[in-house]
Amino acid sequence: MPHALDAAKEDRRQRAVESLGLQLDRPEERFDRIARLAHLVFDVPMSSVTVLDGDRALFPGMYGLPGRELPRVDCLCDETHAGGALMIVEDASLDERFAHLPAVTDLGIRFYAAQPILDPAGNVVGTFAIYDTRPRRLDAERLTAFDDMAAWAQQELVASTEMTQATWVQSSMLPARALSSDSWTINGMCLPSLAVGGDFYDYGIAQGVAHLGLGDVMGKGTGAALVGAGVRSALRGTHSAVVAGVDLGVTVTQVARSLMADLERTESFVTLFEAAIDLDDGYLRYVDAGSGLCLVVRPDGEVVRLGGSDAPIGVLPDDHWGELDVQLEPGDRVLMFSDGLLDLVDEQVRWWEPIGALVAAHDDVNSLLAGIALLARERTPLDDVTAVAVYYAPSPAPLSPSQEDSP
Amino acid sequence: MTEFHVDTTASGIGVVRPEGRLNMVAARQLKSVLADLVAGGTHRIVVDLADTSFIDSSGLGALIGGVKSTRQQGGDLRIARPTEAVLTVLDLTNLTKILRPRDTVDGAFDD
Repeated sequence: MPHALDAAKEDRRQRAVESLGLQLDRPEERFDRIARLAHLVFDVPMSSVTVLDGDRALFPGMYGLPGRELPRVDCLCDETHAGGALMIVEDASLDERFAHLPAVTDLGIRFYAAQPILDPAGNVVGTFAIYDTRPRRLDAERLTAFDDMAAWAQQELVASTEMTQATWVQSSMLPARALSSDSWTINGMCLPSLAVGGDFYDYGIAQGVAHLGLGDVMGKGTGAALVGAGVRSALRGTHSAVVAGVDLGVTVTQVARSLMADLERTESFVTLFEAAIDLDDGYLRYVDAGSGLCLVVRPDGEVVRLGGSDAPIGVLPDDHWGELDVQLEPGDRVLMFSDGLLDLVDEQVRWWEPIGALVAAHDDVNSLLAGIALLARERTPLDDVTAVAVYYAPSPAPLSPSQEDSP
Repeated sequence: MTEFHVDTTASGIGVVRPEGRLNMVAARQLKSVLADLVAGGTHRIVVDLADTSFIDSSGLGALIGGVKSTRQQGGDLRIARPTEAVLTVLDLTNLTKILRPRDTVDGAFDD
């Protein structure tokens, strides 16, 4: 049995590890380098950068250990993962948590020090550890050095300057504020997973028409984000045509043609849901390019899925896209979202039921988006979670005849 | 962790069977498995999805990349026996036109 972390915490930890996107099974020089240096700095025969993957403990970086994988239950670091804090054990053979482990009985480990490695959301995704066959302690100076090296390991494992920078650039490109009028409220959000991702959304109003789009570029990383930024600008370029009433199938097909070469080169494709809503009468036109992730939730709780049969952009060079439509009535709510949200609900086959219920349960756009953010915090998303919500205010209730007027 | 079983049938069709979650990390592996097959002269490939519990857009990307590279060589990549979860994703993304699921691995190239 792995250490008795509760199931939700363990699920979250495993997802956080997976979202790092590391190839854990092979040695990585940048982690080995840290372990080698730790061997010199602390004069210890063994050191590791440890990551737990399911019931295995892996050492993507190590010095002096006999192998790169252990059953998790046999790994000293399982305890540090569970505790989530710096652990220093002067003599493991005298500690009942560790004395029985093969690392102690067979390898002869006595001294053990480990610092948890955290991702930006605070999940423990690994440990940096040193081991010695003699009981010992760390003086204040060494303890500081140990903290420094753990910080280095954390930097290597979870972050790079490029990624942090790209995340900032990406989020600064999204619409900054909600749009609202007497009858309509529109707002969106994007919660990037650990790495910068390929989701984007956009919305704008002109000439009484709201033009909205939400897309997801295959894969993650700076490459996907750059492709996403390109698609977003191309769609923006069609804004004036769309609000003037040009068929969305025509504009999306144009956008797809202009992006095809870039998408071919980067071996990528894009799923897109794009819509234009006439704010006077609630007539909604849309194109579904392989997204299928848009729901209309009616005041009586009925959930209508908006989806077509057109493929994502970038799959086939001579594809084309068609416009579909639906009539919105006062009180209707629309939610378009990326597949990162699908991953957060338990019902994978009839996913529109829990997500429709979520929409029905929130009476305004911002509380719905907060509800989705909460879901994402509870279950570390593997993918970006992006959503745009449109609420059409219910028409004022007809005045009921007052008591005085009753016969 | 996703594993890949790779076989070649008597008629020269490559069969790849990913086990587990076909996510970003596994998609990279699948991509290189498919590229190796194509480079080695196997231009007809069946990806058997019977043991694939989950697929995300990166996994789809690896399959589409395989469709493109095999077709360029006059061959094709076909998928067989997708699980319900995988079928849901294929339906959502409207990719069943390009990746039409086949009922069996052996019969995937019968038409």
